[in-house]
Amino acid sequence: MKHKAVKVGLTSLVLALSFGGLLYSTMGEATEYYKHVDEVMTQPTEWYGKKLQLHGYVVPDSIMWRKNSLEYKFKVQSNGQVVNATYTGVVPDTFKSDAEVVLKGTLSPDGLFTVSPNGVMAKCPSKYEAKPGNPTS
Amino acid sequence: MASLGSFLLLLTFVVAAYAAAASVAGARRRNNRLIESGIGAFYTVAALMTVASGVIIYSFVAGDYSIRYVQRYSDSVQPLFYRITSYWGGLDGSVMFWVFLLSLFGSVAVKVNRERLRELIPYVVAIVSVVEMFFIFLMVIHNNPFDTYLTQSPTDGRGLNPLLQNFYMAIHPPTMYLGFVGLTIPFAFGLSALITGHLDDSWLRAVRRWTMFSWFFLSLGLTLGMIWAYEELGWGGFWGWDPVENAGALPWFTATAFLHSVMVQERRGMLRVWNVTLVIVTFLLTIFGTFMTRSGVVQSVHAFGDDPALARLFMAFMGVVAVFSFSWLIYRLPLLKARHELDSWVSREAAFLANNWILLFSAFFVLFATMFPTITETINGERLTVGPPFFNRWMTPIGLSLLFLTGIGPLLAWRKSTVKNLAEQFLFPLVLALVTSGALVALGVRVWSSGICFALCALTFGTIAQEFWRGANVRRGMTGTDVVTAMIGLVGRNKRRYGGYIVHLGIVLMFLGFAGAGFKSDQQLLLKPGEEATVGSYVLKLDALRVTDDGQKQMVTAHVSVKGTDGKDLGKMYPAKWYYRKHEEEPTTEVGIRRSFAEDLYIVMPAFELQDQTASVEVHINPLVNWVWFGFGILAVGTGIALLPERALSFAMAPLPAHAATTAVLLLALLLAPALAYAQHVVDPKASQLQVFSSDVRDVTKKLACWCGGCSKLPVGECACGHCAMVKGEVTEMLKEGASNDAVLAHYTNPPAAHIDDAVHRGQSGNSLLSMPPAVGAGRLVYVVPVVLGLGGLFLAISLALRWSRRPVVAGAAGMLDEDDSLRSRLDDELRDLD
Repeated sequence: MKHKAVKVGLTSLVLALSFGGLLYSTMGEATEYYKHVDEVMTQPTEWYGKKLQLHGYVVPDSIMWRKNSLEYKFKVQSNGQVVNATYTGVVPDTFKSDAEVVLKGTLSPDGLFTVSPNGVMAKCPSKYEAKPGNPTS
Repeated sequence: MASLGSFLLLLTFVVAAYAAAASVAGARRRNNRLIESGIGAFYTVAALMTVASGVIIYSFVAGDYSIRYVQRYSDSVQPLFYRITSYWGGLDGSVMFWVFLLSLFGSVAVKVNRERLRELIPYVVAIVSVVEMFFIFLMVIHNNPFDTYLTQSPTDGRGLNPLLQNFYMAIHPPTMYLGFVGLTIPFAFGLSALITGHLDDSWLRAVRRWTMFSWFFLSLGLTLGMIWAYEELGWGGFWGWDPVENAGALPWFTATAFLHSVMVQERRGMLRVWNVTLVIVTFLLTIFGTFMTRSGVVQSVHAFGDDPALARLFMAFMGVVAVFSFSWLIYRLPLLKARHELDSWVSREAAFLANNWILLFSAFFVLFATMFPTITETINGERLTVGPPFFNRWMTPIGLSLLFLTGIGPLLAWRKSTVKNLAEQFLFPLVLALVTSGALVALGVRVWSSGICFALCALTFGTIAQEFWRGANVRRGMTGTDVVTAMIGLVGRNKRRYGGYIVHLGIVLMFLGFAGAGFKSDQQLLLKPGEEATVGSYVLKLDALRVTDDGQKQMVTAHVSVKGTDGKDLGKMYPAKWYYRKHEEEPTTEVGIRRSFAEDLYIVMPAFELQDQTASVEVHINPLVNWVWFGFGILAVGTGIALLPERALSFAMAPLPAHAATTAVLLLALLLAPALAYAQHVVDPKASQLQVFSSDVRDVTKKLACWCGGCSKLPVGECACGHCAMVKGEVTEMLKEGASNDAVLAHYTNPPAAHIDDAVHRGQSGNSLLSMPPAVGAGRLVYVVPVVLGLGGLFLAISLALRWSRRPVVAGAAGMLDEDDSLRSRLDDELRDLD
């Protein structure tokens, strides 16, 4: 009986350690920080190059679209802090002035936030609706 | 109405509380009258919830906007269908829908099992009633669907967001709920078995069909969600590892494990602790799933919103359920000791055990990764998320190992596989897998992960085919019929097993579809009118950018013609953007999809420039994706077969006259073959133009075939090209002047010589312009020949069928059984499975 318990215990320990190790190593590159615009822009230098999920609100009338392309430049703000964002790709239907957005991307040292492909997720201002955001593929 | 509804909810809460109390008291005091009373109250809950559902649906249909929920999700112009489905469209109503379904399922489960499982029933009633009480409590205290406006009620509703007014929105939530709610029943029976100590297999048998039924609807709900995402959202994929998607998948993993694990308990009395654990965990995950979507605990594009109070209520409930259930589990551990030990790792029990571990691990991994932001925020205040690449990196090998187990599971023997077993069983599937691998290497297909996936698909397919083939052969030996009849009889005799194999086949096809995602590509293009662009093996050309209107919305549609790189015409696609009148800032994207089993051509048009007539599109090529949907269809068929009651298809269990089944299958195939109608989810841009002309004009012009030379000779009444618009205009005038239909037609078949070369007639004339030849002379052939052929063919098929069904002489079948050991062991297997 004790022999069996030792076997089980040892196997579990090895499994747990190996999974833990695997998790730790894979998470390194895959994790993104979920931050609000004001949290990031008050100390932008800390966040350069890090993968972020930036939450904020699209500044009204700031969405610029280059004609005949899928390039967008816009501003996102929260609590008074504003960041410039740039993105090439498909935006969700709900992306417009004042939309609540979560942007996946990185902040570069020149203060420009580059959104990664399919990285714009927009929410409706209203509660409970299935929002056709653009989850990353 | 609203007060009636609220009163009903309160009353239901009280009645449910009574049901729980009376059942438990009756069980403990062995007082049958109390138990009966409890069951009666339990049925009453179902009746009350039905009435409450009626009240809310009535309020929607009648447009009672004093009720906030109705006002929020409906308006006066909303179609009836979407008024009814708004019942579950919002949080409050969806909770009520949950209770409604639960009360119905509970009542059915109790009714069916009342005599068979007398000792468990009182506790089942109590457990289900308590769950109902929790959800009703949520409604009454927190989110009452019958809440009214305190001051002035609005005269019109806000209306359901047009994004949500589609078929999938109506059907996806109910199927998911059927799955979630259905899984409460196995939990109730399992926990009752723990409480009463009646831990033999009877509770398993009672819940088997419930679990299959719920598992099927959960799978259906998840697949519908995938299809919805694929067709509506426009990002080209169908699963984004979004928290709400994951919430639906979590109970699916453990329910799948449970479905398989019960087989080991029935056969060998092992994995009993596993089974009760799995059933408890599955229920907890269903509650957790609904908690995640409603509480705002994780960020999601689907999430209902932020509601900390609700979150606390859910957490309290889950805590209580977990503690209560696991305490009973621990208390009853001595009764849950396995009857046998694991004899060998090369056995079917071991494969099932591995299956359990992998699926449980998947559930906890997905749970962990989904809750990761909340976990990290609690630990150090920093909210970290992980995205799809992380999920895929882990779930891909997990999925492949599950596919591997699906392939080898049926090949392993119970208890212990000898080397001889292994050689005999593994030969064909392994050879098939190796041959496939060879072909893949020769084709240069990537090994990880698509190559391995294809090889494993071949392996599993080989296993399933072998099982069917061998089983049919055994049956042939017994009954002397042909192969097809034997196979049908085989499935009929052992619906659970062979239905299960068909489900596995469906899974193999779905994995084939998943593997295709490894080869997908996408490209962003600017399409200018008349210019050609090459993407993959397609050449795209933007013909025009048209703007149309149907009163409810304005539609900007790109008419894209598609050709192969070899020049072959592949049809047209119509990606569009729609602007609804009431929601102009929220346009919807309509995707254009050209489907084939090899790949999908998927075009989204997020931006356009009307003045330049240009469209910016994103083009995706998704190989093999349709195998996912098709595979699910096969899975559904398999589940249906497995769910059939024992006596169904009993005619198939008796030895049939030879060839009868074959003939039946052939006839069915003949009948069904032409029926494959495929509905592409693209609104025909021509449809809106039809409204401009009256139905009389359309009726007449339908008899003419468009001769503009550009389109595919559609009837003029249906064609939307500019030329046909001219014709229709002329016809309108002619009809207004009093011309008969025949005169109108004659005007085109026999045009006046002066006009024959103008833009309308274009030099064409004669009966060739008619869409159907007239019923005179040679034209009559068109009507007569198909009928003759059809009737003649049917007559031929029936006479052949009759001839083949004549019973042949079946020689001494009985004598064959003694000779073959493998035959006998197979017989043993089958008889044992025949529960």
